Amino acid sequence: MNQLHQTARVGLFFLLGLALTWVTFETLSGGKLFRPEGYALVAGFESLKELKEGDEVRMAGVKIGVIEKTRLAGRRAEAVLRIDAGTKIASDATASIIMAGLIGTNYVGLDLGSATAAPLAPGSEIRTKVTPDINAIMTELSALGQKLEGALGTFGTSVNGDGKNPGLFQKLDQMVTTNSVRIDATMANLQAITGKLNRGEGTLGKLINDPTLHDELVAAVGEIQSTATQAKSFVADAQGILAQVKSGKGALGALVYDEAAAQDLKAAVANLRAVSDKLAKGEGTLGKLLHDDTLFTSAQSTLRKADRALDGMGDSGPISAVGIVATSLF
Amino acid sequence: MKAIITVFEGFGSTLQLLVQAASHLGSLPRQRARFIEQCYLIGYTTLPIVAILSFFIGSVLALQAGYSMQNFGAKQFIGSLVGLSMARELGPVMVAILLAGRVGSAITAELASMKVYQEVDALVTMNIPPARILVLPRLAAVLVMVPVLAIIADLVGWFGGAIVAKNVAFISIEPEAYFSVLRRYMKFQDVLNGLIKAETFGFVVVLVCCNIGLNTRGGPREIGAAVTRAVVASLILILVLDYFVTKALM
Amino acid sequence: MPALPPSPAVTTRESPAAGVRLENLSKRFGSHVVLQDITLTIEPGEIFVLMGPSGSGKSVLLKHLVGLEAPTSGRAWINGHDATAESTRALVRMAMVFQAGALFNSLTVYDNLALFLREHRLGSEADIRTKVRHALQILSLAGTAAKFPSELSGGMKKRVAIARALVMEPQLMLYDEPTSELDPVMSATITEIIASLKDEYHVTTVVVSHDRDLALNIADRVGILMDSRLIFLGTPAELRQPQDERVARFLYPQIDLAHPRYKQLET
Repeated sequence: MNQLHQTARVGLFFLLGLALTWVTFETLSGGKLFRPEGYALVAGFESLKELKEGDEVRMAGVKIGVIEKTRLAGRRAEAVLRIDAGTKIASDATASIIMAGLIGTNYVGLDLGSATAAPLAPGSEIRTKVTPDINAIMTELSALGQKLEGALGTFGTSVNGDGKNPGLFQKLDQMVTTNSVRIDATMANLQAITGKLNRGEGTLGKLINDPTLHDELVAAVGEIQSTATQAKSFVADAQGILAQVKSGKGALGALVYDEAAAQDLKAAVANLRAVSDKLAKGEGTLGKLLHDDTLFTSAQSTLRKADRALDGMGDSGPISAVGIVATSLF
Repeated sequence: MKAIITVFEGFGSTLQLLVQAASHLGSLPRQRARFIEQCYLIGYTTLPIVAILSFFIGSVLALQAGYSMQNFGAKQFIGSLVGLSMARELGPVMVAILLAGRVGSAITAELASMKVYQEVDALVTMNIPPARILVLPRLAAVLVMVPVLAIIADLVGWFGGAIVAKNVAFISIEPEAYFSVLRRYMKFQDVLNGLIKAETFGFVVVLVCCNIGLNTRGGPREIGAAVTRAVVASLILILVLDYFVTKALM
Repeated sequence: MPALPPSPAVTTRESPAAGVRLENLSKRFGSHVVLQDITLTIEPGEIFVLMGPSGSGKSVLLKHLVGLEAPTSGRAWINGHDATAESTRALVRMAMVFQAGALFNSLTVYDNLALFLREHRLGSEADIRTKVRHALQILSLAGTAAKFPSELSGGMKKRVAIARALVMEPQLMLYDEPTSELDPVMSATITEIIASLKDEYHVTTVVVSHDRDLALNIADRVGILMDSRLIFLGTPAELRQPQDERVARFLYPQIDLAHPRYKQLET
């Protein structure tokens, strides 16, 4: 009885040990031996980097299998992917080793491939592409740095020369040196011209240097200005009359805006018509005045000229205004 | 000089005993009852102390690791640290040391007293080799039971570490994260490695303790001396072997 | 002890009694000489009693016969086989009754007796039971089968040890101090048992003892070991009138309170 008890306990204990070992095995190695379901795909890479057995295989981020085995096959490294049974991999899907962390956590990522492509058969090889890992990025950064350095070096040589070919500054220097006589002459001529200008020689010099001419010009401008001022006040008066008419002030305002006066206005208009008829026939002094074309034309041209002068003065500075006034007046 | 000779004598007689025990391997099936009894003593009754000790060793590992790693932000790796240390080193060595202290000493005491009270001589006159009925069942039992103890030690240690990692304020790592890191950085190879080590240690401890027990001479007083010698020899052998087995398995 | 009840189970095998021959056997432990140049022949079927003072090497001599000790020089032969060879123990069945019994403390009395038969696969469990029961009955131990050795008295332990030896159906039976530490009645009982077993099974019997009564009553021949040498070899009749003074002093010591020996030794 006691012996039986002991046997049972030892047996149970041993089974417990076996079970625990199995659980540990399953947990740590993905249970390769005890999970024959799923199928294998081979992915060849130039380097498996930090990839090791038991790492995950993910498609679009979802875990669909594990790395069953890593091996060296000729001139490349191969990873055998054990894909879960239910998952179909499109034949144009590509696998790449993806780094999940800086300290060597990697997985194999598959993209979805196209929807129409036939699924890969078990044991076949999947297309792969190389993705840069941290080392590659570092290498590229370093290469970039070298290129930059190189470029800067070339720039330096083009500016300063590399011993054999003269640089930009050296060329400039050379040019200035070889043409220095000509430049000196040009400078001297320039100096002579400005000197003449200063001394009032030539037309331009006189214009600049003769004080009487200047005074005349200022006086002319003053006159033009006063004329303009008068023209302005005239315009202002006309505007004032017009405003009075609009507000109904004065006889013309009442005429236009008073209804009671409308009848009178009609009568007045009728009278005015009769008057204007007479005027149109050139009767009376006013009629003659109205009908005499020459007088009208001369008045019109005078008004036009004034108008032009005003316009020119509006959009120019005083000096150009002088020119404009001059051209428009004469 | 005399001590060196004693050491070599010990090696020699131990190997001799191993060969003798191995030569009776065929009798093992008939010794089922003795084998089961030794399994019970070596495995089953040793389980509680192995479980308690490995739990606390795992906890302390996690605590110490958390304390020293918090300053440079590596404490999320506690899972893998505890996992690997327990499986590769502390689990096997601890099981072996407990075996030496608990089982080895008992074996030596029993065999030494059998020797001193002439029970061993009686076996010899009966033409029953002591290697067959006293040593072989123990060796077989230790080979079967030690992996069980070691895997339990590993797992209990891991859980001890996980509990500390979760509940100690300055560590605060969830068990999911703990075990995910443990799984990521461990292979079954690591655990297997530890089991092989534990197996080697356990076997050597039992063999050495049997040999020292059977070579006891003199009166009852020698029994105590033999036990002391057996435990000391076992501990030294465990640590020396640890280095070489670890190196060999790398 | 009355005549033993005959049992076919115990006496199934006609095993010829073994003869013993020692040739110039010497034994040293380091520099300490225990046995020196012992030459002795023990005939098959005789009871040979080896006597001698404590520490004279009697037990060591006995151990040479079963191969527990190897001689420093000289040889020990059992039925013409070297006693030190392990094969001899397989060829000649020898049983030894140790001074303290040397019972297996972890086994019951029954299992102690059954161990030899079981280990050598001599018969089915039922046969073994019959043999063990018979042996226990012979030695009046029927009620002790389920007990452990630690629960037994000194005399019972000795009888269990004898029973265990008997179950082996030996060709050579060795007793180491079978009557020491026992009261006179129990000593007499054991002595009777030894004689009866020899008569019943014709087993060669070697008894190491310093029990004078045992030697004088049941021995065919007696040897006396003193100072690591065999100083007397003869029949009990010769022993009653010893010629050698050392033998006389050993066997018939005078208790003289006026001149105690320990004081003589001092001078």
